[in-house]
Amino acid sequence: MTAPPLDITGDVCPMTFVKVKMGLQRIVPPGKLNVRLKEEALKNVISSLKTEGHRVTNVSREEGIFILEVTKGE
Amino acid sequence: MSEADYKELKKGGMMRQAEAGRFSVRLHVVGGRLATPQLRSIQEAADRFGRGEIHLTARQGVEIPHVPQDALAAVKAFLAPSGVAVGVCGPTVRTVTACQGCRVCPSGVIDSPELAGEVDRELYGKPVPHKFKVGVSGCVNNCMKAEENDVGIKGWIEPRWEAPACTFCGVCQAVCPTKAISTSEDGVALIVDPTLCIGCGDCITSCPGGNMREKIRGYRVFAGGKFGRKPSLGRRIPGVLRTKEETMTAIVAVLGFFREHGNPRERFGDTLQRTGFPALETFVNERMGLS
Repeated sequence: MTAPPLDITGDVCPMTFVKVKMGLQRIVPPGKLNVRLKEEALKNVISSLKTEGHRVTNVSREEGIFILEVTKGE
Repeated sequence: MSEADYKELKKGGMMRQAEAGRFSVRLHVVGGRLATPQLRSIQEAADRFGRGEIHLTARQGVEIPHVPQDALAAVKAFLAPSGVAVGVCGPTVRTVTACQGCRVCPSGVIDSPELAGEVDRELYGKPVPHKFKVGVSGCVNNCMKAEENDVGIKGWIEPRWEAPACTFCGVCQAVCPTKAISTSEDGVALIVDPTLCIGCGDCITSCPGGNMREKIRGYRVFAGGKFGRKPSLGRRIPGVLRTKEETMTAIVAVLGFFREHGNPRERFGDTLQRTGFPALETFVNERMGLS
């Protein structure tokens, strides 16, 4: 099951982190969430996802915007 | 009292004040760390022998100002039992500064207080051509400003790219603050330029697939920095060092170079201006058995 993409391109830390966390709350593992974000948010978002036990299972790009496919951890 | 006597007192950490007959007593502090009994003893000494105040120095040290000349021996004797010694000044290896390091700070890569303690034990107060300052930053966020010191150390993470599962997603290249990562011409490998890499490890933290790994979690040595009237920044010596022991060897080698080539009253950065930085690199490599 894939939820609608979450767009955090207009957010800055810590809202980027908060929104991704909330987005993942609605998903049952190992469901996926696509997150659209800007380059500046990559490091913090990916490192906090990893820390919380989720995985980034695909990365794509669209006109300077990164799209992360996040697979929810247990 | 003669100028020569004042000089001797200064070398021993007793700093003559503008006010005649008064001294600011510099204490021996390593990495800005004092135990509370030591603080209580310093407080008591400032009340008894000074004017009830202390001065926090620019390099994490403590001085007790306004001590009369005839009380200098007494203040020293008073502080000794709590393990507080009097500091140094003049052409010596000065106070070693350090952050709290990896035992306290989440960003820490190395145990800065541990290395600072070792530098202090080996080198503090030793004679050199001119004042010589050592500072240790636990990571490249560099709170201790390594490049301001005659020798500065930073905790450093050297990345290594591992091919198997890399999808070339571009995240590591995007997060790299110095754009040190490039794709090889044939597009099958990622290359980290060691001259651009600043050892932050952001590529490792961010890599979704774990293909950027830590090659070395270690130490980087910078040499020849100073502030004062004519500030200049230290430059990094090639190579990331793996252990505290290797780093000590490098620091001792840098100091050896200064002793061999430095003129009296010449700061190390100015010595390096004369000799050129490669002369130091060669010297250090020889001392470390890397030549």
